[in-house]
Amino acid sequence: MPLRPWGSSKLSDLIRNVDVAAPAAASTPWSIRLDEVTVRYPNGTVGLNRVSLDIAAGEMVVVVGLSGSGKSTLIRTINGLVPVTSGTLDVGEHRVSGASPRTLRRLRGDIGMVFQGFNLAGRASVLQNVLVGRLAHTSLWRTLLGAYPDADRQLAYHALDRVGILQKLHSRASDLSGGQQQRVAIARALAQEPRIVLADEPVASLDPPTAHGVMNDLRRINRDLGITVLVNLHLLDLAREYGARMIGMRAGEVVYDGPATGATDADFESIYGRSLTPEDRLDA
Amino acid sequence: MTDSTPPVSRGVRALDVPARPRGAWKGPVIVVAVIAVTVVMCLPGIGIGVDLGAIARNWQNGADKIVQLLMPDWSFFPRTLPPLIETLQMAVIATAIGAAVSLPLSFWAARATNPNAPARIAVRGLLNVIRSVPDLLYAAILVAMVGVGALPGILALLLFNVGIIVKLVSEAIDTNDRGPLEAGRAVGATQAKINRTLALPDAWPAFANQTLYVFELNVRASTVLGLVGAGGMGLLIDAVRTFYRYDQLSLIILEILIVVIVIDLVSDAIRRRLV
Repeated sequence: MPLRPWGSSKLSDLIRNVDVAAPAAASTPWSIRLDEVTVRYPNGTVGLNRVSLDIAAGEMVVVVGLSGSGKSTLIRTINGLVPVTSGTLDVGEHRVSGASPRTLRRLRGDIGMVFQGFNLAGRASVLQNVLVGRLAHTSLWRTLLGAYPDADRQLAYHALDRVGILQKLHSRASDLSGGQQQRVAIARALAQEPRIVLADEPVASLDPPTAHGVMNDLRRINRDLGITVLVNLHLLDLAREYGARMIGMRAGEVVYDGPATGATDADFESIYGRSLTPEDRLDA
Repeated sequence: MTDSTPPVSRGVRALDVPARPRGAWKGPVIVVAVIAVTVVMCLPGIGIGVDLGAIARNWQNGADKIVQLLMPDWSFFPRTLPPLIETLQMAVIATAIGAAVSLPLSFWAARATNPNAPARIAVRGLLNVIRSVPDLLYAAILVAMVGVGALPGILALLLFNVGIIVKLVSEAIDTNDRGPLEAGRAVGATQAKINRTLALPDAWPAFANQTLYVFELNVRASTVLGLVGAGGMGLLIDAVRTFYRYDQLSLIILEILIVVIVIDLVSDAIRRRLV
């Protein structure tokens, strides 16, 4: 797949020219530390079983595992969508485990999240969807009136430009293709000026070329902006290609932690607990 | 397959068709039961006592009324205009205010947009009470409270509208995709912000649909409300009915029919543009 020329569109140049105060350089990324974290769901299912992890600020980590292995729970625990049952979890200098709802909302405001199903408001415009990323920093009355500050709009334009779909600014989100919708979702995360980006199976609903495009976007966010990126995947070739570090999960426990490029088929077989099939690869 | 495989004919093995499920007899039995219950309810003594003979003896009494209804009194038209316009005004006002009140209430009444169970149950309970009172009764009580005229009619329609719109729109919100709402939580937004930016866009079609629907209901309902003095066409209907002027009544019915058809066409056009 040919790489898109990043941010070379005429429209984006135009916006850059009228831009008075360009957004400041990316804010300091956060590390993620889990110490003996256990997550037990109300129905008794154990999502994470005494997981300890240390992810440095600015790392690009892929988490692999079959569905039900706990990798989705791991991501949702990091931004507090799933509460920690026991153990401690810190992002940057902030304690997530046991935090008050208000503190959690503030922390989530600094953690971007990308979902498998994009999770856009389909009937709203691309711009409105990206501005959702600013909600933690926007007052209620401005939100209710839809009167976002100009600085927030600029952030949204730049975020869309970074993923190459600024031209779709005024399109309805549901009119876009799957790959474009996921880019809007990434732009929504970028508009948060995040210190961590979490992506839960971001390419599982996309065709192979589009999947590579979206993975490239996430890698660029990590390389160019220095943001800590954590991506859940189940395809081993994508994990090897885009991950610097790879964490393997099975039954709520970390069973592999090492460089992604060095992970052999045998490593994947031991993570998955079964022999590999063609479905485990994107480009079979 | 075991040794007891069914015999093979012309190289085609007889298929192992699954047996009928156990509940298959239920359908016909339910139909028979419903018919039986209906018949019993019509019997004299036990039920309401439907006397088919009475229809045979008295149908002529209504025949002349039907003949009158078929010949509308066109000269009556100028007198019907002011109440017709009042009816439409009542419907427009009650629908507009009702819709405005219903929108925030719908988000409070839906599980997806109000995780606070006690508050949600309180709103739903209040709306159940509002819905269970007939609009004619609201009108009768309000006429006593604020006097004869359009105002009690508008207030009665308002209560009726809020009850319907909130119920149907909150149900639509609960069937909408919850993914966007989760994204809202993940960016650290409060529930009010999530509802405004992520739930509202997807709730618009249902809200517009139900609002147009209650507008049509309001035009029809305001004809009945006038019977208890709550303004609109109903006052006129009551008057002409008292004097057995079925020719004038038929003109009124015709006008309501035309108004309802026009509203139907207009709301259909709006709906197609919105969705």
